[in-house]
Amino acid sequence: MRNRRTRLLAAPLLTMLCVLAFAGPAQASGESVGACMAEHLEELVDQHDGDLHHVLHDEHVQDELEKCFEAPNPILPETTEIIWGGAAFLILFVVMVKKGFPAVKGAMDARAEKIRSDLDAADQAKADALAVQADYEARLADAKSEASRLIDEARGAADQVKADLMMRHEAEMADQRERAAVEIESARAQAIADLRAEVAEIALGAAERVVQSSLDAEVQGRLIDAYIDEVTGSNG
Amino acid sequence: MNVLALEFPPVSHLFSWPDIFFSDTAYAINKTSLIYLAAVVITATIFLLAGRNTGSLVPAGIQHVAESGVTFIEESVVMETIGEEGKKFVPFLTTMFFFILFSNIFEVIPGIQFPANSRMAIPITLALVVWVIYNFVGVRSQGLGGYLKNSLFPPGVPVALYLIVTPIELVSTFVVRPFSLAIRLWANMVAGHLLLVTFAVLTQTLWSNGYVGAVAPFSMLVMMTGFEILVSVLQAFIFTILTAVYIGGSLHPAH
Repeated sequence: MRNRRTRLLAAPLLTMLCVLAFAGPAQASGESVGACMAEHLEELVDQHDGDLHHVLHDEHVQDELEKCFEAPNPILPETTEIIWGGAAFLILFVVMVKKGFPAVKGAMDARAEKIRSDLDAADQAKADALAVQADYEARLADAKSEASRLIDEARGAADQVKADLMMRHEAEMADQRERAAVEIESARAQAIADLRAEVAEIALGAAERVVQSSLDAEVQGRLIDAYIDEVTGSNG
Repeated sequence: MNVLALEFPPVSHLFSWPDIFFSDTAYAINKTSLIYLAAVVITATIFLLAGRNTGSLVPAGIQHVAESGVTFIEESVVMETIGEEGKKFVPFLTTMFFFILFSNIFEVIPGIQFPANSRMAIPITLALVVWVIYNFVGVRSQGLGGYLKNSLFPPGVPVALYLIVTPIELVSTFVVRPFSLAIRLWANMVAGHLLLVTFAVLTQTLWSNGYVGAVAPFSMLVMMTGFEILVSVLQAFIFTILTAVYIGGSLHPAH
């Protein structure tokens, strides 16, 4: 920052010093009137074999010397300047047309083309990325719907399995209940038969002891049944 | 020349320079010619160096200068005044712009301090080249009859006014244009050079008569130096854009 500020201050200062230092040369070092006259005089004296007196009284000499007071016309261009200026411009134009301009323009066009192609490539890449993104999104949506369908199916299957299991379970339970009932009934019938036989035997023994007599088989049977019925009726 | 105790050099001595090389020959080189040659070297160097550096995506330094110049001439001058078909003139106009600019800018270069275009040689030469080009372009694109008709009898003007308009157009288009173009550039550079010399002489004189008095003219000298940089660029631009306008006018007759 400080360096930058120093440079900023140095630039105008340097410019001012340069302007001051070189202000003098802004004035052209044109030939002075005195030098012009001296040069003409020297030439004329040489032409007149060194006779200065003769030269000074010659009218043509005075006309010649008066030309030194005539300032050159500042508007009219000098032929040499036209020649060199025109040649300079012509040379520059040829160099520019043949080399400089095509090189710079070529570099600019190449850069513009590179930027354009890079932008096209970027657009293409963006379009590709968007297409890939759309593809992924579509696939994701498909996957989601597939997952949802699978979940629904699984849920349905589970419900079905559950219902089947429940149904089978209930059937088994009913079967077991039925079997149990049959077994109970069978056990009950067996128990009754056993009990009847036991009671018949006990009753027969008791009757024998009570009556101490022998009864025929028919009477015994009748007595036993009557007793069992009585016992059953009192238990039921 | 002594004005109010100031030793002001004769005006002719501010613009007329002695020969440096090949004295007293038709191809003598003086300071003005050297500046023209320097302008060629500087412009050619900038473009040749800029053209070599083609790799970087962002132009910098000298490449930036050259490319900015080309873009400026193409977009701000040619496209604005001629249009798409004027692009073939971009190399010529770019060359002209830089050549005039560097010939002018030596006005403020320490040690040289002379605008080469304050001599009439290049302004008038270039103006005549421009005159030939725009007339040639006009004849080629519209035919001799069409070009003269459109130049001298602008469409849309009431017939009676042609009595006034046609002579004006004749003088304006075919006679005055090259001179106005040349004199505009030349006179601006002459005036700028005289201003700088005036303030430099004032500063020099007042500095030797007590330092304080030199502050004001020296401040003006610094300011005018900056101003003349602007004038140098502006005059190069004006010469170039007027050339483009003239060529555009020859390519597209007035509607």
